[in-house]
Amino acid sequence: MTNFNFITVALRNLKRKPFRTGVLVFSIALLVSLLIFASSFVVNVSSSLKKASDRLGADLIVIPVGASRYAEAFLLESKNAAPYYMEKNVIDKLKKVKGIESLTYQTYLSTIAGVCCDVEATQIVAFDQDSDFIVKPWLKKAIGRELKKGEAIAGYETNFNLGVELLDVEATLFNNKFKVVGVLEKTGTGLDNALFMTEEDLRGIISGGNSPLKEEKLSIIFTKVKKGFDPYKVGRDVEGNILEVDVVARNDMGKEILNTLKDINKIFLMSIIMASLLSILLVWAIFSAIANERSREVGIMRAIGAKKSHVVRLFIFEIFILGVVGSLIGIAAGTSLSMSLAKGFTLIKNVSAGLTLMQHTGIAFMGFIVGTFICILGALVPINRIKKLEPLLAIKEG
Amino acid sequence: MSQIELIDIAKIYPVGDLNITAVNSVSLKVEKGDFLSIVGHSGSGKTTLISIVGGIIKPTSGKVLFDGTDICVLSDEKLSEYRNGKIGFMFQFSSLLPILTAKENVLLPCLFGSGKESDNGKKAEEYLEMVGIGDKINAYPSQLSGGQQRRVAIARALMNDPGVILADEPTGDLDEETEAEIMGLFKKLNKEKHITFVLITHSLELAGQAQRHLRMSRGSLTEI
Repeated sequence: MTNFNFITVALRNLKRKPFRTGVLVFSIALLVSLLIFASSFVVNVSSSLKKASDRLGADLIVIPVGASRYAEAFLLESKNAAPYYMEKNVIDKLKKVKGIESLTYQTYLSTIAGVCCDVEATQIVAFDQDSDFIVKPWLKKAIGRELKKGEAIAGYETNFNLGVELLDVEATLFNNKFKVVGVLEKTGTGLDNALFMTEEDLRGIISGGNSPLKEEKLSIIFTKVKKGFDPYKVGRDVEGNILEVDVVARNDMGKEILNTLKDINKIFLMSIIMASLLSILLVWAIFSAIANERSREVGIMRAIGAKKSHVVRLFIFEIFILGVVGSLIGIAAGTSLSMSLAKGFTLIKNVSAGLTLMQHTGIAFMGFIVGTFICILGALVPINRIKKLEPLLAIKEG
Repeated sequence: MSQIELIDIAKIYPVGDLNITAVNSVSLKVEKGDFLSIVGHSGSGKTTLISIVGGIIKPTSGKVLFDGTDICVLSDEKLSEYRNGKIGFMFQFSSLLPILTAKENVLLPCLFGSGKESDNGKKAEEYLEMVGIGDKINAYPSQLSGGQQRRVAIARALMNDPGVILADEPTGDLDEETEAEIMGLFKKLNKEKHITFVLITHSLELAGQAQRHLRMSRGSLTEI
């Protein structure tokens, strides 16, 4: 019994010129890592935006005119922006618009005034517990009950931002004492960077004169649209009836970022196409040289009974091994590159909720297919040429 | 029925506007177990003729019957099977693959054959032993002398138990002693295994050791 087969021959051929093999593997690895990095970046940002807007659970977001950028910056990119407000009576106007099923509102205060010394800017969000459907599901998971008076709960990232273990910490917010009773699970939205209190406590802060904010003001209204109604149509009705507000539909959230992302995507795509063409040319050039070098060997193999399909199989195995090794290295490099460089990109830092295992696998699979396919594509012409060699001529001229 | 029968074979190569006749109206019958030598000057058409018999190239006209089957009408695939199963080749240079060991080189024809015999490895070792280099089975061609490389090539030619071995100046670049050893091996195989040998050589002395002697001149073959 012997293990001598086509793969043995292909592997030996690859070992014959290690530098040349290395260059080919390296070029495929580079291409695949670029592909993995670019895909991870684009998928990461776009899917995180989609996830974040979906997780908010609202069909429409109503904000003061001109504030949509700030709202999206906070909700999707976790950026703290200057507070923006509108009159509370907008709620009543909104309720009259046909198609609105339910709504809840939140009021954003300026950043935290001190659990301790140097802390990162953290948005304080007051929400109406009676109507809320944004925070409540997370609250239920975290502490299993509603917030009581004088209690606050931290968003997932807030815990780290403030640099302290928040649980049961007495916080002083706008000169009011609060007990932080828990930390919400990661929502993948800007809410992760907020500290939540109830509307009732906010009124206490305002009436105590500890905030410049006036009563009857709110920052944002989240609405759900009745089944069968087109959210875009309802949104247009809202903007038509209530002039002081802007409306953002769930599917339009992060549109600006997505447009930027489209441009980035185009640049990535062009780079990948060029890199692919270069790789194809490199594989073609090297395999053309290989075909010339080995023409006598191929002639001998044909003379001792190799069919054209055997010659093709031999070279395909060789290029396939190159493609697989190059792709695997590229996948590893691209994945670690995208992970290590992620924090260096503001867009990812602000928006990204990270890739799921499924997304990682999908991108890796795509990289594998593209890397291997490009190798085979580049080698097709030389392989086709060598398989057609006339054995006697190849033996004589080789 | 002869093992090999060439009927009015011609091979013409078009070179530019000219037609070069490499083999001209050759007819020949070879019986099983024959040992033929063909001598002739360079360019007389010896290699072309042997390549036609071996199914490496097709003649321009005429027929090549092997055990009664015309190989000239076979498809490329069938011709490969014919070369793999019926013919053993030996070339006028070292024809081993440098990346493979002696044993792997001997096993190479099995890679292209249809049979999946599990004892091929053992068989290859036995053939290498038989040709006198059983201690070199794991050596690469670069680690072998010219004579040893030819022995490996003989073992490879024998591997698929061919009926005919076509040897094109197999000892051309070897010293006299090695040449004699190789020739001795051929005769032994011819006698013991009844393998037909068609030997092309420049050496009249070597040719003289065959049973039948032929001369090729300007594409024509004559028995001498």
